[in-house]
Formats: sequence, structure tokens, C-alpha cells
Amino acid sequence: MFPKGLKNGFSRRTFLKSTAATAFSAGLPSMALAAGETVKIGFLAPLTGATAAWGAPGLSGCEIWAEKVNAAGGIKIGDSSHNIEFVAYDNEYDPAKARTGATKLIREDGVKFVMMLGGDTWPGVQPVADRTGMLFSTLLPSDLSPDTETLLAPTEVHPIYLVTGVQWLAENKPELKTAVMCAQDDALGLPSVATYLAAFEAAGIEMQDEPLLFDPATTDFAPIVTRLLSTSPDIVCLDTCYSDYVHPICEQLFQQGYKGQIISATADFYDQMIAKTSKEFMEGFIFQFPDFDDPALNADNINFKDANGFYAEYNKRFPGQWGAVSWEYAAIMELWKDAAEKAGSVEPDSVLAAMKEGGKGKHAFGDADWWGAEMFGINNALVGDWPVVVIEDGKAVIKGFKSIPDWYDQHGDLLIKHMSAYDQMWNQRS
Amino acid sequence: MRNFLIWAVVAVALIILPNLVSFSQQEVLVFLTINILVVASYRLLTLTGEWSLGHVVIMGVGAYASALVTKELGLWVPLGILVGGASAAFIAFLLSYPLFRMKGFYFLIGSFAAGEIIRLLWKRFRDPFGGAKGIKGIDPMPDFSIGIYQFDFFEPVSYFYFSAVVVALCLWILWRIEKSPVGLTFHAVHWQDKLAQASGVNLRSYRTLAFVIASGFAGIAGALLAHYIGTINPNSFDVEVMVFVLTWAIVGGTGTFYGPILGCIVLTILNEIVLRELGLEQTRPLIYGLILILSILFMPNGLESIVQKFTRRKEAK
Repeated sequence: MFPKGLKNGFSRRTFLKSTAATAFSAGLPSMALAAGETVKIGFLAPLTGATAAWGAPGLSGCEIWAEKVNAAGGIKIGDSSHNIEFVAYDNEYDPAKARTGATKLIREDGVKFVMMLGGDTWPGVQPVADRTGMLFSTLLPSDLSPDTETLLAPTEVHPIYLVTGVQWLAENKPELKTAVMCAQDDALGLPSVATYLAAFEAAGIEMQDEPLLFDPATTDFAPIVTRLLSTSPDIVCLDTCYSDYVHPICEQLFQQGYKGQIISATADFYDQMIAKTSKEFMEGFIFQFPDFDDPALNADNINFKDANGFYAEYNKRFPGQWGAVSWEYAAIMELWKDAAEKAGSVEPDSVLAAMKEGGKGKHAFGDADWWGAEMFGINNALVGDWPVVVIEDGKAVIKGFKSIPDWYDQHGDLLIKHMSAYDQMWNQRS
Repeated sequence: MRNFLIWAVVAVALIILPNLVSFSQQEVLVFLTINILVVASYRLLTLTGEWSLGHVVIMGVGAYASALVTKELGLWVPLGILVGGASAAFIAFLLSYPLFRMKGFYFLIGSFAAGEIIRLLWKRFRDPFGGAKGIKGIDPMPDFSIGIYQFDFFEPVSYFYFSAVVVALCLWILWRIEKSPVGLTFHAVHWQDKLAQASGVNLRSYRTLAFVIASGFAGIAGALLAHYIGTINPNSFDVEVMVFVLTWAIVGGTGTFYGPILGCIVLTILNEIVLRELGLEQTRPLIYGLILILSILFMPNGLESIVQKFTRRKEAK
């Protein structure tokens, strides 16, 4: 019935692994990495299903990153070099499967670090993280709380970075004064709604209606778009809708004759959106995730190494699949690698200490601070500048970088107000 | 005596089983055990000829109820699980009034609509249901020792033993119900409804009874799940999960008590262990779907028909 399980059940290897895991969880010193031993990293994200677009492209990016690092000699821990290998587990965005995956990655595969999308899946994994002390990363800092000491949000500070898009919009198109918004009613949509509300209020843009929350099972967006357009807004905000929603909503906006401004967290596979609508319709679409062939990513302050080369390789191998997360997990790995080399160890506690040393870190888009005590109850989110991207002539272009901490210093009270109204502050989560 | 020996061997096998598999397979074993109760309880409803699309949501009612009474009221977890089952049965009883005005396809759609309403209520009322994010930090089953074995319910082996005992007890009750006069009446309601009605059987009452009993056991399954993973949200009980339950029942076959259980075991092992071990993480839905189509084409009576073929041959000899 369980062929591999039977084999594993009695093997010396499984016994040693389980013993090591038990020793680790009991706080005993763990075994040092053998010279030349490959370091395994866990990738625990949705690879199938509705949220796969925020998992699978990231795994592809990680594999490119690992090949590059391994070809350059691997990661240097003390005097020895080690190759990096990713072990993936498809959690299908389900907390139960995420728990199973975390158990497999830590207790069977012996990974040293686990990257997750987070969201609904993190609460299922948290008991495993607490027991094992494993270092995890999430793309969604709304998973952070004072209890999540080994969980980091080192790349994407969703949804706080959304304020930069609205700030840029207000500065560059001051004539746009009214907005409407729709979002899926889930753990990704709601904190995002609160953030956009704060950003619009800070920018003096008036909301014409309450945010329109739709069920994640929605497939017909015509009535939603009709209602959005009923107040003739200057701006339509698509919040953090999944690409499965952004595409049909844009199609509907196009079909219903909308000619105003669109702002969204993501515009994954925007070339397909252009094909479904028109280049003119998509002109000026604002979002937050650049194509990495952008010359702005060659600047000295950018910490993601050879962004243009990474993008070229990605597109060569996976044409048409570049998305918001294609680079994010690889960027987390860059940070992890630097910290492990600095610590001279791949053990989770050593890497965590090295990563957070001095309260500063090298974020993909520039040096940043470990931040979040007020918003998340713990300074485990790496926050700095974030790019604002606009579609121009059918191509995503970085229009500038905006500082999230600077915005928060001025308008943090608004963000807290709206987050509290949506029960999204860390101390409000049930 | 023979039966006693068979059950003794099964019990010993179940005690040994989790120690023969890997850590992640132990986790799968826990979820499989819980899912067996879900699909077996679903079959009880299908005995009356009604197929529901709300069974997983009803399971969620049990999960939410148990999570809330243990977290907010500090109720002891095993009692919370019973409250979960009772709550699911009660909600099913309330739903039965509008739903059993319908039959067949209309009942199917009605049950889907009722389930979606419940899910929307969980989303809409952040207090107490936690909204779209659901409830997390649900109290785990408290650890205890029985001298020779220390139950640490973070560990899947301990939770498997606990859930296996609960599920075995529930399956035994379901089996006894099916073999009782009430169970036979459920069959009559499905296959000979006019005759049953002419004999004085109140069809609607028996349909309601089957719905309430099935929902109660689904609620217990939901509560078992909630106290193991420690978090639940409305998406954990959506129609996609319901499709899996339907698939287990259809592929296994609903003619026998063991059919849906067989479907659940075979398809779970296939999807969660075999395809993953083969490194087919991202192509699993495709292969899983293909196997489903092939099994329906070539085994229209489900996996139970294979077992029946062998047992008949044995009897013939």
C-alpha cells in the first residue's frame, strides 16, 4: 500500500533523520553540514489550483537561481562549498496539505529553510514551525505576529507596498480624484482593500462607493464591472485580485467602454490582457511588479544580481510565464545565501540571526529595514523602496521607486485605521 | 470467533501501520481516516436516493462549532467534537425543511445553495467566524498518557490512533444503522418509494433522518480535522472539496458500505502519495482526472465491483 513508506519506515536514514529532528526540536546542537553536502531548501507553495500563479513561477525562478549559484561554486559555508537544491511540495493553498508538506520537507528531506506563499496555509504550518524551530519565509506579512519568531517576510511586504502605486498616481495624475475598488473576499483581498483605502485617503482621492467584495468562486464579472462603472469613477482599483480575476475584469472594463485609469497590485501575463483588449486600453495601467529586463534594475542600489540576465534566462526557458512571483522567491534565496555565508552555517537560528543583524537587510530593490512591530507585532518584514510599474506601449516600465517607510511615517495612522476597520491588525486576527 | 480474530488482526494492523510509513505519510493517514468518516457518512444520505452538494459545508459546521466552543468557551476538546457533531446535525435538521421540499436534481442544487449561504455567513461575520481568514489557534486535543503510550497530539501517530478509534466507532454505528429496520427503510425510500409510502412510511421524515444522521457524523469529522490542523477557513469546505467526496463515492461505488471507503483510500493514496512520490507535483490534477475518466469508463460500478467479483468467485468455488 505504501511502498516507499515501508522502505523508509525501517531504514537507517529515516531513523537518523527523525532522531536529528527530535534532537533539533529539543534544542540540542544539530549535526554540522558535511563537506560538499548539498543544502536542501523547501519550496512549500501552491503549484496547482487557483493560486498556482503565485507559486509555480517562483519555483521556476528558484531553479534558475540555483543553477547559477551552483555553477559559480555554490554557497560557501566556512571553508567548504555546497550546492543548493530545491525540494518542492504542492500545498494546493490548503492548510492541511501545507502541514503535511512542512513535515515532509523538514523531517524527511532535511531542508534548512522553507519558502512559502503564506496566507491561509501558514496557520496549518505554524505548529510545525514552533516545534522544529525551522526558518520560514512568507510573501504575505499579514501572517506575521509576535508568536511567529522564525517566520520572515523578506521580499514582498504585501499589501503595504501598494501605497507606492497610489502615491505615484496622485503625484503624476492629480486630475484623477475619484475611485472605486473590487476585491475577492479572502485573506489576500481584505488587507489589500484596507491598504488601498488608506493610500487613497492619504492621496486625497475620494472613494465613490464601498469596496465591492466578491466571492473567490466568482466567474462572471460583468455585473461587478457594471456596478463599479455606475458611478463613473476616474480610477478603477483591482486590489490584489488573482490573475484569474484581473484578466476577465479588464476584459469587462474594455467591453463596457471604460476609458479611465486602472490600478492593480499585479498584472501577471499582461501581454494576454493586451491581446484580449487593446494596447490603447491597457496604456497607463499601474501595477507593482516589474519585468526584470527593465534598465532601472541595473542601478547600483538594486541588490538582485543580474536582474536582466535572470529575466532573459527565465523567458528563454518559460516563455510567456513571467509573473509577479517569478523573481521573489529567488530574491529571498539571495538574502538567505548572504546570511548563511555570513553566519558560516545553514542552521535556521544562525541564519536568522545573521539576516537580522543590525536591523538592516539587502532587499531586492535596495537596502531596507526590518520593520513591522506596529503593524504585525514583530520586526520580521524587510521594508524599503518598491517600484511603481506602468504599461507603456504594451510593455511594463518602472516609473520610479517609492519609499514605503517614508509613506508610513506620514500616513501610518490612516493605514492602522483602515486595517483595524477590516480586523486585519495582528492583534485582531482570530 | 472467526470475526473476532479478523477484527483483532485489523486492530493490530492499524496500530502497526503508522509506524511503517514516513512522517508525511503519517499525516496523510490522519486526513485519510477523517475523510473515510466523511465519505461513509455521505453514503448514508445517498441510501435514500438523495445526493447533496452541501455535505462538506455541513462538515465545516461541525469544525466551526467545535473550534468555537473549545476556543471561546473553554470546553474540553473531546466534548467540543461531540458538540461539533450535534451542531452539524441540528443545522441539517433546520435545512431539511426547505431542502426536502425538493427531490433529485433540485435537492442537489438546493443543497449547494444552502452550503454556499453557510459559507458566506462564515465570511461575512468576522466575529465569531473569523471572516475569510477563518479561525486559527484552535485548541489541540490535550496530550495524555496511558502508561505504555504517551499521546502527543502534535504527532500524527497519536492523532491517527485517536481519530481511528473515533472513526471506527462512528463507522460501527453507521453500519448498525444501515442494517437496522431504519436502514432498510432508507433503501425502500430510494428504490420503492411509492410502495414504502403506501405501507405508511413517511418519506420526508426518513430522508430528513438520513440527512441529519449523515450530517452529525460529517460534523464529527470536521471537528476532528479542526483540532488537528488548528485552523479552518471557509475555503477548507468549498465545492472543490465536495467534488473530491463525490469522486471517492462514485469511483468506489455506493452499492456497498465499503465502496466509498475503498474509493477514498485508493484515490487518496494515488493523489497524495503515488503521484507525489513519482515527482508529478504539477501534473497531478491532469493524471488524477484521467484516471477518474478511465475508471468511470471501464468500472462503471466502481471499485467495489472488483471486490464483489472476487468474493463471488470465492463463494462459487
